[in-house]
Amino acid sequence: MKGPQVSITVTDLTLRFPVYGVDSKSLKKHLARITVGGKLGRNSMGATEVTAVSKVNMKLRSGDRLGLIGHNGSGKTTLLRALAGAYEPDEGTIDVHGQIAAMLDLSLGIDPSATGLDNIRLRGRIAGLTAKEIDERLDEIAEFTGLGQFLAMPLKTYSAGMQARLAFAVATAVHADVILMDEWIAVGDADFRKIAHKRILQLMERAGILVLASHDVELIRLYCNKVMRMEGGVASPIMDVKKLDELLADASDADAA
Amino acid sequence: MQSVQHMVRTGRRGPMHEFSMAFADLRASFERVGLAWSLAWHDVVSRYRGSMLGPFWITLSMGLMVAGIGFLYANLFKIPVHEFIPYVALGIVFWGMISNVIIEGCSTFVQASGILSQTSLPMFTFVWRTIMRNVINLMHHAVIVVGVLIFYDHWRQTDLPMALIGLLLLMANISWISLAAGMASARFRDIPQIVGSVIQFAMFMTPVFWLPGGRLLDHAVLVLNPFFHLLDVIRAPLLGQSVNPTTYIFLSVLAVVGWVATFSTFALIRRRIVHYL
Repeated sequence: MKGPQVSITVTDLTLRFPVYGVDSKSLKKHLARITVGGKLGRNSMGATEVTAVSKVNMKLRSGDRLGLIGHNGSGKTTLLRALAGAYEPDEGTIDVHGQIAAMLDLSLGIDPSATGLDNIRLRGRIAGLTAKEIDERLDEIAEFTGLGQFLAMPLKTYSAGMQARLAFAVATAVHADVILMDEWIAVGDADFRKIAHKRILQLMERAGILVLASHDVELIRLYCNKVMRMEGGVASPIMDVKKLDELLADASDADAA
Repeated sequence: MQSVQHMVRTGRRGPMHEFSMAFADLRASFERVGLAWSLAWHDVVSRYRGSMLGPFWITLSMGLMVAGIGFLYANLFKIPVHEFIPYVALGIVFWGMISNVIIEGCSTFVQASGILSQTSLPMFTFVWRTIMRNVINLMHHAVIVVGVLIFYDHWRQTDLPMALIGLLLLMANISWISLAAGMASARFRDIPQIVGSVIQFAMFMTPVFWLPGGRLLDHAVLVLNPFFHLLDVIRAPLLGQSVNPTTYIFLSVLAVVGWVATFSTFALIRRRIVHYL
């Protein structure tokens, strides 16, 4: 299945969010703007746009495990969503070779009143498995979740950690080359972290790429060999994880200043 | 498996590029049509989870409605029951299809916001999901349609090939209206309310429950009412009546114009839709 090498290439990526206020979503405002013209129109010309990610460049090759650090709102999750293909760049390009598995949000495609098994099927379908493939792997996935009889219960009875187990099990059941992960893996218990760790190492053996956004420095040290810091949408160069302390020191200097 | 083996995303590169990306979205949605079907099926099943009859509530509640309205109106209007019941049964079933595809179209993208904001699934997948969900409902209603046509002995006159053409024309039109409603509702939260009111108004202006008299067939209320054409194109052939040629022309033109306009809008705002949500 390896044609070209697994890789992520991002050039001059800029992402802007137009902010559609709750108010401006109403048609009346929009119509009023057209009829009233000048006054409100000027406001709408300068409509608020938030630049969430600006001029980011990065190149990742197979075997790279990138840790993304940065404050809340520094653009980590937005960058991950863009890498997953959900957000279209406003400028620049994203080029990803390889099957992507994004684990950004626990609630992806999840129906709280359906059972765990149904949710495995639903999520598996969304992640790109065929119905047949899911049936073949259902036992394996079910075992990996470690949820046992709870799989026959509706998802709304699950704790956050149990949901994380389910989500992680399904997402990694897809033979992904690129795994994008947000924080939430940290909600699992020690037991789960151990098996999750093993899965991620397995993935690494298949020469994939991992991008993990986290505030947990220890987690980054555990999984990543490279690190990048986001600050107000601007990314630092990618560094070796050994320089993580320097990067953090820079960050606190910047905060102090 | 190969949903995304190689993904390239770029900034805007002019309208031609936007159109080719929109076509790529459409193509990808056809390649993964099974996913839309699974989601639609899940929607139907989960709605009736825990109930004893399950999805056959769809059939039962429609059957009760047809019987109730059929006998009442047949008596009120002094129309023979064997003529009126098939007419009103088909009317209610297909009106339900038309109105639900459009009304549920409003939540196509809003409902999928969680999935759309973290995967690269084609947006059209969710349009098909809404439509397929209603096709599944229609299949449950088919029991009533067939039952009534056989019971009141109309099935001998049924013109199946024309009914099939009618169904295709119907789908070709309500699908773009559904997509348009979905895009508009994502951006403006008033749209679902407006759509709801318009559909309700249209139900009374359209001969769903009542029989248009001879003179009324030339009346603007029917000639200019797209819902009349949408309903008539499928109901008349099933009842063995002929459809006015203008209906075919009207619906064909409407489908082409509607799809061109809606698809162009989709192409131009596609990358923004996820930010509306």
